[in-house]
Amino acid sequence: MPLHLSESEIVDRASLLPAFPSVVNDILQTLDDDNATLGALIHLVERDPVITARVLSIANAAAMAGRTQRDVRDMQVAVSLIGLSKVRETVLGVSLANFSSESRMGRHFWEHSVAVGVAAQELARLGRISTDYALVCGLLHDIGQLWMARCYPLEFQMVRLSLSLEPTLDILEAERKHFGIDHCAIGRLLATAWHLPTSVVAAIQHHHDAHPPADKLVAATHVGEVLANALDLSRQDEARVVNLSESACDLLGIDWNDDLNYLFGKIEARARYLARIFS
Amino acid sequence: MKKHLRYLPLSEVVEGMVLGASLTIAENGVTNFTLPAGHVLTDSNLRQIVRRHGEFACVAEEDTRSDEVREAEYAHLQSRLDTIFSRADRSKPAIAGLYAAVLAYRSL
Repeated sequence: MPLHLSESEIVDRASLLPAFPSVVNDILQTLDDDNATLGALIHLVERDPVITARVLSIANAAAMAGRTQRDVRDMQVAVSLIGLSKVRETVLGVSLANFSSESRMGRHFWEHSVAVGVAAQELARLGRISTDYALVCGLLHDIGQLWMARCYPLEFQMVRLSLSLEPTLDILEAERKHFGIDHCAIGRLLATAWHLPTSVVAAIQHHHDAHPPADKLVAATHVGEVLANALDLSRQDEARVVNLSESACDLLGIDWNDDLNYLFGKIEARARYLARIFS
Repeated sequence: MKKHLRYLPLSEVVEGMVLGASLTIAENGVTNFTLPAGHVLTDSNLRQIVRRHGEFACVAEEDTRSDEVREAEYAHLQSRLDTIFSRADRSKPAIAGLYAAVLAYRSL
């Protein structure tokens, strides 16, 4: 018998997870705000000592490579050394890595999330949309699974068992069998409750759809997850490619007859690089 | 001697490696650093790449494997790819295109 969970129960149970890092919403808002200043970004970074330390560490690595021999302690200097886009990427990645780690999710879950985030970023570049939005969508696309594992660990293990006993079973079907709802629908509820932008909510909700809505961010997240599995980036036995939306590929301008070796190589190398930087 | 290409995060790239593809770093759409394919990386190059926040490089390495070992490894890769695509309909153009593109990448 599946669980019978109301939407409000699902949102209420999210209190078992660590507090969602508000800095993610704040950063995304600065991207949409033409009046947002460098000072505002620095203020966001300095609110969190873990993020501050990571940004300063990256700035010091860049300073040492430049043989400037200085110990960077000032955030303004750090941001000028690293660049705004890299600082934003680091803040988003580190804050969500902490959230995942405090949720006690396994290493594979986080590695897969980073791989999908990086793939979505590179596809966002092709489709000329925000790479920061794409990174957040990739890092959070399976947030519903994290909720399942934390709030109902027994049922979550039963889903895993069903999938291992019946390899042709679709993951969403297996989740509905035990939870009465799948991780994409739970992800939509959580992302809405955390006041994430509607485009991010849509990407989380539709990333498994065979025919996702015609939106580039949804397309980048959908194709990003397919690429992360096809390239076996997190080396999980259960990695599978099931659906790949033709229209999502068209929307992003992907032509499978092109030489995609550079794109794949960049995704694979950056996923390994950023998994280390974020964690 | 045959060569094969590997895309590596910068932390795994060392002095003396040969670039398998040109390395270009751009910021805000403007190229600010470039090295050609075939260039042998020096310590100074690596410092410049780090300073400009480069994250990865494509390097060319001599493929010292025998034909037999190479074929066995290719068969293993193809078998893994078949498992990953076991639930996908490979008659669909996008799926077939992706499968072929990943196999080509893994054969570099």
